[in-house]
Amino acid sequence: MKWQNSALAAVLLAVGLAAAPQIGIAAETLKLGLSLPLSGNGSTWGLGMKWAAEAAAKQINSGGGIKADGKIYTLEVLAYDNKYNTADGTKVAQTLFSRDNVDFVVGVMGTGPTQALQAIAERRDKLIFTTAWGRNVKGPEHPLTFTQAHTSSESMPELFGYIKKEHPNAKTVALINPNDATGKAVEADARAFWSKIGMNVVMSDFFERDTTAFQSVATKIVQAKPDIVDASSGPPDIAGQIFKELRTQGWKGIQVIAAGGSAATLTKTAGEAADGTYMGLVVDFASPAATETQRRLNGEAEKVLGEPLNPVHVSTWDATMALKAGIEKANSLDPKKVADALRTVVFESSYGPAAFGGAETYGIAEQILVPVTVAAVRNGKIVELARVKPKELEERLKVKQ
Amino acid sequence: MALYAQLFLNTVQIGSVYMLFSLGLTIIFGVMRVVNFAHGELFAAAALLVAALVPAATAHLGVPIVISYALSIVAAMVAVSLLGAVLYQFGFRLYLRDMTGSFILSLGFLLLLQGVLVEIFTGVPRVVPPISEETMVFLGGRVTVQRLVTCAAALVLATSVIGLIKYTNLGMALRAVSEDYEAAMLQGIKYGRIAFVGFLVGVNLAAAAGCLIAPLFTVTPFMGADYLVRAFIIVIIGGLGSISGTVLASFVVALLDTLGGFYFDPTTTTIAMFALVMLLLVLRPQGLMGRSD
Repeated sequence: MKWQNSALAAVLLAVGLAAAPQIGIAAETLKLGLSLPLSGNGSTWGLGMKWAAEAAAKQINSGGGIKADGKIYTLEVLAYDNKYNTADGTKVAQTLFSRDNVDFVVGVMGTGPTQALQAIAERRDKLIFTTAWGRNVKGPEHPLTFTQAHTSSESMPELFGYIKKEHPNAKTVALINPNDATGKAVEADARAFWSKIGMNVVMSDFFERDTTAFQSVATKIVQAKPDIVDASSGPPDIAGQIFKELRTQGWKGIQVIAAGGSAATLTKTAGEAADGTYMGLVVDFASPAATETQRRLNGEAEKVLGEPLNPVHVSTWDATMALKAGIEKANSLDPKKVADALRTVVFESSYGPAAFGGAETYGIAEQILVPVTVAAVRNGKIVELARVKPKELEERLKVKQ
Repeated sequence: MALYAQLFLNTVQIGSVYMLFSLGLTIIFGVMRVVNFAHGELFAAAALLVAALVPAATAHLGVPIVISYALSIVAAMVAVSLLGAVLYQFGFRLYLRDMTGSFILSLGFLLLLQGVLVEIFTGVPRVVPPISEETMVFLGGRVTVQRLVTCAAALVLATSVIGLIKYTNLGMALRAVSEDYEAAMLQGIKYGRIAFVGFLVGVNLAAAAGCLIAPLFTVTPFMGADYLVRAFIIVIIGGLGSISGTVLASFVVALLDTLGGFYFDPTTTTIAMFALVMLLLVLRPQGLMGRSD
């Protein structure tokens, strides 16, 4: 019996010794959340954001994961459909934080869904990256919320300034936005930025996101005779329908989508009526001006998504890379420590070295600093007209060097 | 003048689709005394099938887009009719003239069908390539030829259905069971069979509306919701089960949509419509042309 006990002990010891190194280096899973419109209007953005987050997680995992506090973490992305509204955004927030116990959300689309997440996240110290354009989601009272793409304060001055320079005779503008938290916030910003450059906002209207017929809206715009129509935060498929209807009713002016996002969807919906539309938040990722990473991602996105990559899509790639850099700098998974690290770290985004700043505008460094672009649709393709690197980013990079 | 012509054209365009959609809903209610909340999903299913089949037929058969569109309409109508037959045989047949049971059943079908449509077609908006992009000018108002043809088709279809209901034996049977199904059965009308035919007529009207608007707007599995809300407003204003009331109310609601959208905004218009419905329910609960039981 004694020899049997010894043999059993030896076997257990051998198993233990064999397993020990495995246990020592075994990677733990870090769950990353996403709250996106994966169906309906805006899904062209949401599906691309999900794909880009998964691509970033795959690259980080194959590169050895994220290292913090002596452990290695591999990433798992959990994406849920917020249908671009607050009610579904609230359900997603509950699922992510109460069921999945996620500490980091690398992409939210929509001001309403972002506020729904913040309501829980801020009580439980969770860190959020969002694309929301609502100014009220940022600021010192939201220290764990970071904006992963440009918003109105970064995009509109460059875009509107360029249009005014190209069309000095244009004096009037009509605004059309979705009737929700995003639309209301963007409308206020668009009105302010257009007025700042001397444009007269002759009308501003809101539509429900499930609207399918835009004839009356178009008639109203045509009667207001604006030089410019800015479908500010309208999803590209809705903006496309409005522009098409405007063309049918005989209006021929300057078309703008400040929060453009996807030229491919706009062109698919509006057809020839998309031509000439100025767009913010659009980059030609196939052009020589794009980085190698962006060109590679763009090629893969076209195969998987059936449309080129756009800055909204790539924002989850950048947020995931920023999070990696933040966690490794903080050497901790504590969202508060990671947030502090994110305010100072320079990380490798798809655009190249990037950082978070904007304290002068928002009172706290929470805004991603990457180049601002002005683009337009020409013969069904997106053409980049201007690219401006934020001064704050240049200064941060100089300090780093 | 051009403005009024444009508002008139907008009303006709919107009203003709409302009419087709709502006629189906009111026929089903009239014959079966059930409120079909899944009506919008049948409409969306037809539109999604057309949106998926038109590009596929154009690419694989090498035929002009008009032919692809016509073939896709036939395929979508057949598919949605079969779907309607399944819904009837395994669901509605068991809850004829049972408002509560059919209410719960059709809500279940709505959720089930929406889930299935999202699973098959995804939630990404689809676009049917335009069949014609020519624009016509009428008294200064402008409309695409495609929209005009759609309106004409909707009007022809609605007139045919009204003709069928008014002047054929089948229509007489439908009207009879709608007015008093027990008396109709005493006259030898097989109620179950007529209810099934009435349901299929309603389903086909929803499918036809979906097929007709597919090339005009972006198509998603959720598109039926907006039309369903409008259709309920229409059938309440027109009078539940009243064909002529539904036709009239379709254009009244389209006119309110057009004028409200132009002089105010779409949200205020929707609120105003619900206020109108509430007022009507207080003053004339049977609707403009409905019967008071």
